[in-house]
Amino acid sequence: MADTPQIDERIKEISPLRRALIRPELGGIVGTFAVFTLFALFAFDSGMFNSQGVMNWSIVSAQFMIIAVGACLLMIAGEFDLSVGSMIGFAGMMIAVFGVVLAWPMWIAIIITFVICCALGALNGWIVVRTGLPSFIVTLAFLFILRGFTIYIPQTIERKTIIGGIRDAAEGDWLAPIFGGKIGQPIFQWLGDIGVIGVFERGTRAGQPVVDGIPMLIVWAIVLIIFGHILLTRTRFGNWIFASGGDAEAARNSGVPVNKVKILMFMFTAFCATVLAVCQVMEFGSAGADRGLLKEFEAIIAVVIGGALLTGGYGSVIGAALGALIFGVVQQGLFFAGVESSLFRVFLGVILLFAVILNTYIRRIITGER
Amino acid sequence: MSASQNATPPIIQMKGIEKHFGSVIALAGVSVDVFAGECHCLLGDNGAGKSTFIKTMSGVHKPTAGEIIFEGKPLDFADPRDAITAGIATVHQHLAMIPLMSVSRNFFMGNEPVKKVAGLTFFDHDYANRVTMEEMRKMGINLRGPDQAVGTLSGGERQTVAIARAVHFGAKVLILDEPTSALGVRQTSNVLATIDKVRKQGIAVVFITHNVRHALAVGDRFTVLNRGKTLGTAKRGEITPEELQDLMAGGQELAQLEGSLGGTV
Amino acid sequence: MTSLMKKLVLATAVVAAPFMTAQTAAAEGEKYILVSHAPDSDSWWNTIKNGIALAGEQVGAEVEYRNPPTGDIADMARIIEQAAASQPDGIITTLADYDVLKGPIRAAVDQGIDVIIMNTGTPDQARELGALMYVGQPEYDAGFAAGQRAAGEGVTNFLCVNHAIQQPTVGERCRGYADGLGIDLGSAMMDSGTDPSEIKNKVLAYLSANPDVDGILTLGPVSADPTIAALKENGMAGAIHFGTFDLGEEIVKGIKDGTINWGIDQQPFLQAYMPVVILANWDRYGVLPGNNINSGPGFVTKDGLTKVEEFAGEFR
Repeated sequence: MADTPQIDERIKEISPLRRALIRPELGGIVGTFAVFTLFALFAFDSGMFNSQGVMNWSIVSAQFMIIAVGACLLMIAGEFDLSVGSMIGFAGMMIAVFGVVLAWPMWIAIIITFVICCALGALNGWIVVRTGLPSFIVTLAFLFILRGFTIYIPQTIERKTIIGGIRDAAEGDWLAPIFGGKIGQPIFQWLGDIGVIGVFERGTRAGQPVVDGIPMLIVWAIVLIIFGHILLTRTRFGNWIFASGGDAEAARNSGVPVNKVKILMFMFTAFCATVLAVCQVMEFGSAGADRGLLKEFEAIIAVVIGGALLTGGYGSVIGAALGALIFGVVQQGLFFAGVESSLFRVFLGVILLFAVILNTYIRRIITGER
Repeated sequence: MSASQNATPPIIQMKGIEKHFGSVIALAGVSVDVFAGECHCLLGDNGAGKSTFIKTMSGVHKPTAGEIIFEGKPLDFADPRDAITAGIATVHQHLAMIPLMSVSRNFFMGNEPVKKVAGLTFFDHDYANRVTMEEMRKMGINLRGPDQAVGTLSGGERQTVAIARAVHFGAKVLILDEPTSALGVRQTSNVLATIDKVRKQGIAVVFITHNVRHALAVGDRFTVLNRGKTLGTAKRGEITPEELQDLMAGGQELAQLEGSLGGTV
Repeated sequence: MTSLMKKLVLATAVVAAPFMTAQTAAAEGEKYILVSHAPDSDSWWNTIKNGIALAGEQVGAEVEYRNPPTGDIADMARIIEQAAASQPDGIITTLADYDVLKGPIRAAVDQGIDVIIMNTGTPDQARELGALMYVGQPEYDAGFAAGQRAAGEGVTNFLCVNHAIQQPTVGERCRGYADGLGIDLGSAMMDSGTDPSEIKNKVLAYLSANPDVDGILTLGPVSADPTIAALKENGMAGAIHFGTFDLGEEIVKGIKDGTINWGIDQQPFLQAYMPVVILANWDRYGVLPGNNINSGPGFVTKDGLTKVEEFAGEFR
């Protein structure tokens, strides 16, 4: 066509600055910046930016990040997992059943739970690639199946839907602290002593800092983000993830083991959900049948805010992490700002819409989509 | 040309290939041979059996009857991977490239170069980027950068990337499935120029098209498929565009044309 | 009921009067945050929102209502932590899951924030956490009282329609009811889900499969409303003994036309209103009631529906 040279000219016009800016994470970066600016203006002295407040929204964001990393890689590979929320509830309940009801050592309970949940993820993936059904439908079925079992199992064996005592059962275990522990206590104690962060005024913990360490939940979030980012951008498997989601047929023609990639990504998503579940039950000490409700959508929303394409083949783990950060900061920040909590969804919807519009615009520039 | 063809056996020979799908006979005895360094054009109207034939050649379908001889040995492909490994690469009309991914990621899709860092295996982006830029330059395409998404390339450029990729990964036989059908004039000429470059590197090119002018521009030999049968193979200079056109349209004047085709039916 | 309402109004006037006159003198503008476990979709909590709003207005304190949008208790723990970080004068919270919430609540208490447990939880748990007091209706006790009353009214075999199976505290009502009747719960507790037509059909199916059931207990408007429809459809309305927890428009109608024998009102208004007033008085004058407050159970029968009808969904 006659417009070929014109396209070339247009490409050459892009300045180095613009090229550096135009990246999948741009939407997430802009959003993060906007959200923090907004809350710094409207909720600065509300406690949101003191040590406790920072820890609060960091933990909430870290929760979203953990499941968003899995959901992000799976979405880039071209599939969805709607069973993430149910998987969180189910995994927590498995820990409780093995560790408390059956009184197995906690590390065995944790490992077996991981094995079961990853196997369920693989089953999800296997059904999707085998039947060719949309993963939306298959994992929707698992959303119900897993939630049903999460209610049925404790109801049958313990006649209740919450099983407690996990913290006591995990006492002295070597593996449990990797999920439920905290790191950096001495630093925080020192910060408390010199008055940088507040200390408890009364009770058994008087004199201790209100924030006494970084929960492993946050450590897991960071580790999973780094792992996911490197996997996606720096390995050949990452290339296969992009290829599988971009065009499974073309990828197959080029020799990419698309089915294997998809099944592994379903397993990784299940793994992430299980990490969150184990961190949660270790921190709170109980597993409830209602844990993780609707978390699958929160994960998908974070991923989409982070610039991933809903139909696969495009996205960024860093972007998804920023999406999760935005989600967490907005959710908690609205409380700090004293906004009526039922308006949270309104804000979320607005952010989602803006993020998707911005991301689509950026993506079109990068990929030349029309 | 004919002298060299007689001296070296064809790199791939398809003998009496038949392919039935249930009661439908898609191919009813097709014979084609391709020599290294030639561009063999496969012409035919829609439904003539071109797609089935190339799918058989590239290992997607197993022939119901007939024989494939590749480099002198009979071949039995279990799946497309076998064909690719053997050196038969197919560039599909639409499924060649993933538009959302960068040129270098596409180029090495499924064959990613790796490097070891601290015992871990990583995608060697430096190598991939360098090779991609080099190969593209050879084909006459100047990329903005190796990270440029394929979606920003024109249709012809995408075909060229796909062809360059197949050549880079050691294709001996390159099957091009209607590479020019959706392209404009300038892009078509770019692709045809690419085909010419590839042929000169000693690779056998099977060029599937229904555009007689495109075929005549680069083809060394021409085979027409109609209703699952070969109507004949003609050499360059032995057939006019009108005759080819007629053959594709149904071969009503087959008897008359047989003579001009030199008894190769 | 009318007398109770009068007392309430009187108490309100007595409590509120000093603030109105001494508005400038007292340390005003305290901030209290109420945290519930209810998802956004649960309309029952509207009464709670109105209750704290009214109390906040009357005592001149700033009040906020917060809840996890999906009802996830783990999210609720984060909200309590967040509430503590924003340094309010007091936190009023439900104790839907002791294991999950004890950490955040105790941390808030240890930071010097006054905490009152309302609605779910038990007085013992409230004491354990260092909360000032508990305001609510102990679920098991309320169920037990209902069971005893039903036993007196001739119920021998019952169905408990549980629309919130994942919330253990709600299930306690069924257990208490069974114990009050003096029979084993067995499989009498039905996991009905929350969809009205599903609940209705499940109840219909259960009743035709178990003809010896002579009593029904529903655990709130979500399960009561479809059950009323079910009984009207199979003609058992009025013939079968029907008790329910909580009130709502349909329940009030049911009580009026005799479909429902009684509704157990835990009087949510009090659960919201009282803690705000108590916290304000504690902050300002250091006075605190010496005991926990049981806001229920109050049995609402055909007599005494006037006030209920008038304020249903708003303060009742």
